[in-house]
Amino acid sequence: MIVLKTENVTRCFGGLMALNRVNMEFRQGEILGIIGPNGAGKTTFINVVAGIYLPTEGKIFFNDQDISGLPAHKRCRLGIGRTFQLVRPLPGLSLLENIMVGSLFGKGLGQREARKRAEELCEFLGLPDITRDISRMTALEIKKMEIAHAMATQPKLLFLDEVMAGLNSDETTQMIDLVRKICSRGITIGIVEHVMRVIRELTNRVVVLDWGEIIAEGPYGEVSNDPKVVAAYLGEEN
Amino acid sequence: MRISKYLLYVAILIILLTLPFYTGVYLLNVMDIILIYIAMALSWDMLLRSGQISFGVAGLFGVGGYAAVLLNLNTGMNPLICIVMGGLAAGILAWLVGIAVLQLRGMYFAIVTLALAEIFRVIIRNLPDLTGGPEGTILPSAIFAGNSARTYWLAIAVAVVSVIASELFRRTRIHFALTSIRNDEIVAKSSGIDVFKYLVFIFVITSAIQGMTGGAYAHIYGFVSPEGSFSVDFTLLPIAMALLGGMHSTWGPVVGAVVLGVISEFLKLQIPYGHLLVYGLIIVITILFFPQGILGTIGQRLKDRRLRGSP
Repeated sequence: MIVLKTENVTRCFGGLMALNRVNMEFRQGEILGIIGPNGAGKTTFINVVAGIYLPTEGKIFFNDQDISGLPAHKRCRLGIGRTFQLVRPLPGLSLLENIMVGSLFGKGLGQREARKRAEELCEFLGLPDITRDISRMTALEIKKMEIAHAMATQPKLLFLDEVMAGLNSDETTQMIDLVRKICSRGITIGIVEHVMRVIRELTNRVVVLDWGEIIAEGPYGEVSNDPKVVAAYLGEEN
Repeated sequence: MRISKYLLYVAILIILLTLPFYTGVYLLNVMDIILIYIAMALSWDMLLRSGQISFGVAGLFGVGGYAAVLLNLNTGMNPLICIVMGGLAAGILAWLVGIAVLQLRGMYFAIVTLALAEIFRVIIRNLPDLTGGPEGTILPSAIFAGNSARTYWLAIAVAVVSVIASELFRRTRIHFALTSIRNDEIVAKSSGIDVFKYLVFIFVITSAIQGMTGGAYAHIYGFVSPEGSFSVDFTLLPIAMALLGGMHSTWGPVVGAVVLGVISEFLKLQIPYGHLLVYGLIIVITILFFPQGILGTIGQRLKDRRLRGSP
């Protein structure tokens, strides 16, 4: 079953074509990797799917519903969740309250249920100390909070935008397990990542973007040997 | 702990309510002004919690004042209802302009609200048949025939309404929405928050409070005029008060209004007109040396001490 499908999605910023006729499909329950050099349009793709930008051209279907014109908050409520490349904890709120925002508005829960869900998510993701001051959290804890925030909206499709950036090797291993655990809950995952180990270990399929266009698609093993991909992104030694 | 806190609130409220029985008219008049400013400072702060800075507070205050007075004069409706209607008028006006103005953010929003307040004033000034033009309009009598105790209770009611509104905003999901919007609109949208809807909502509510306060003020003094009701004081003082007391809270603006209200009363007697200079100085010193305001700074000190105490 196809969860999300984009048809010729194009997004221009002035004269710059950030996405050029991108056709992508996300299948139920898979982990799809989106890779490519900086400025290839990976985050723009997430932003267009999440509704932060509307596509200049093309259509987006979520569970066969055309969502191309829907605003971001409605797409979130439909079940498209995302984390941010630059993690943005909300300083006026506590750790738990940060996570609660997702269930309060994404799912329309009341404060009590939202708090309960946030506590469950903290346990699920391994954030034992829920009273922690968000200004004193480690990189890993902040990333986990960010994922919890996105998961609180109960997404069917979750985009993880460079969640491994800034983590050390042990933490990356931990995070890889965590992403598997999230996927095993039936959540389809789109993951943007520069750490190739993550892509290799986690993804079923990989889409490679360069200058806003898809230049290759397939399992990581195939894609990583594609000369176009090597030239544009991976480099010779890979 | 919790119960003792509520008992404290009740005790303060009782003392405030019984004040007319053991003080003179002068103190009550000063209290009227302070209470009016509490409502203004709080309503300004409530919008600030969404990250939007309004310089148009005086405009909605004036519109509410005019609406309340004109309604009373032309229909003879009960002044208390007229005050509520003043709030309603300001709220509806805010809804109409908010749909356009709230497309803007930050400085652009701030400047447009400043311009709007001026536009309201100019329009009212130029409708002499309806509003009395530049001279303004005088009510035959101030509310409650000028009875200072009742007038004071009215001012308390206005302040209490704004405190309750502010606390509701802090305790419900609105608090989460506004904090998210203030910090990052994109995160807010991605969490399912209808950013525009919340901004219009909060703008309408805070404007209605300002309009109601303006209506009460106009009825207390029995008089509205373009220069008096739209005075820049009603924009600048609430901002100074909220900054001084501590932003993004209920009690910060209240404390700021009390402190600055008392200081200004004292200064007015000592150096007429010079008091404006002192307001400016207070704002500058607050922003430079304790940007979290009086309550925010105290809260931070307590928190630091607690964290140091339990490593």
